[in-house]
Amino acid sequence: MTAPTDFEVMVLVTVLVVLSLVYSLVRFAWKQPLRNGPGFFLGIEVPAGFYDGPGKQWLTGYRALLVALHLALAVALALCFALKRWNLIPLWCGGFALVYVPAVVALNLWTRHKLGATPPVRAVALSLESRRLGDYISWPTEALFAAIIAASWWLLLRRGVAFDWLPPLQMTWAALILPGKIALVRSGAPLPAERAEEHYRYQDAMRRNAIHAFNAWGWLMLVTLCGFPLRMIWPPASLPSLVWIFLAVFSAVFVCMMIEVWRGMRLAATMGRDLRPAGSWMTPFRGATRQMNRSYLIWFAIWIGGILVVNLYSLLRSYSLVR
Amino acid sequence: MFLTLQANDKRPAYQQIVDGIKALIARNGLREGMTLPSVRQVAGDLGINLNTVAVAYRQLQDEGFVTVRHGAGAVISSRTPHPVDEAELCQPLRTALTELILAGKTSQEIEQTVRRELALLQQTRSCNTEKGGAQ
Repeated sequence: MTAPTDFEVMVLVTVLVVLSLVYSLVRFAWKQPLRNGPGFFLGIEVPAGFYDGPGKQWLTGYRALLVALHLALAVALALCFALKRWNLIPLWCGGFALVYVPAVVALNLWTRHKLGATPPVRAVALSLESRRLGDYISWPTEALFAAIIAASWWLLLRRGVAFDWLPPLQMTWAALILPGKIALVRSGAPLPAERAEEHYRYQDAMRRNAIHAFNAWGWLMLVTLCGFPLRMIWPPASLPSLVWIFLAVFSAVFVCMMIEVWRGMRLAATMGRDLRPAGSWMTPFRGATRQMNRSYLIWFAIWIGGILVVNLYSLLRSYSLVR
Repeated sequence: MFLTLQANDKRPAYQQIVDGIKALIARNGLREGMTLPSVRQVAGDLGINLNTVAVAYRQLQDEGFVTVRHGAGAVISSRTPHPVDEAELCQPLRTALTELILAGKTSQEIEQTVRRELALLQQTRSCNTEKGGAQ
């Protein structure tokens, strides 16, 4: 049995990522503005007949932005392959998140500003249910997670041979998502007083889904991290089998992660479809935008910034610009 | 269980929280030993300052409605009716009655409103007591 080449591994990973993106685009993002029915655009209440007039342009603009973003990313990916720069593929994945997420958030804010300029101020409801970390985060699983990371590094370091520390460091950093999960449990948005119970259940379901998706991401990074020490200690004769095992496990975890993400998106669409008010409303204290709270944003900026820094360092090093 | 904060209420946010929690205790919605969410959670969920919620919890603690234990958070404390100043207790009632009179309500209408609100409160209270017993 021969092991797949780096090129073949990258092709497999890219195919998985591209298929997931295309499915997400067609199945969810394309219809997102109409998620609350024809009386709404991205959760903002619009007048009757909106889609016969200016709504058409809004919808076209939204879809044109989606297509433009995906086209730009497709061109960048094609360049990676054309130039045979496989080390740019992880940077492309990070770049996708860095371009796509802010663009969609900016579009949401712009739409809210233009279409929902004077949203009604409503009474707010406060849930008196305590959110304990233990209800959302499994501490034994977190302990196992930390133990596997520690064991991987111990195996890497105890071998005493020189190894490229950058990829394992990158995977370790990407797998450190516990602070993000804690911030997510603690974050919440104001609930409208009408149908407060339903809004609360929706918000909680979204929180749990995000944590499940985070967990799957963490395991994906952990599987990749484990590949480095295993490659060092595995008998050289049976190294191809390790690569195949790794690819099978990686693909399985990736598919699980995407199923988790899509399940969450489907649930959001089902639970949120008939929830009113849908989003364009204000509280006596602040706008209820369902956006991430401050502590979560701070963690996210540090986390994604760390990934980006390591990626850039790796890129500069590959061009021998840094030692 | 939900606490509602009105958009057009003249009372400050902390007072609305205090009054809302007291109302839930009166209706037996919040019973002895139940834990309130942390100050951080309430402030985050409502989008208000931590100090605003801390002031509300401190007032509830000073009035003996909650006990704040380090690590356990704010817990609804047991309450035994104790003698209170009748005049002080009637002050909010007088204010409410004045508002109703100024709004043009007749004595009969006011009496009906008070009876209805009292009946509603007692009904909710007994309903919550039954629920608590079943649990």
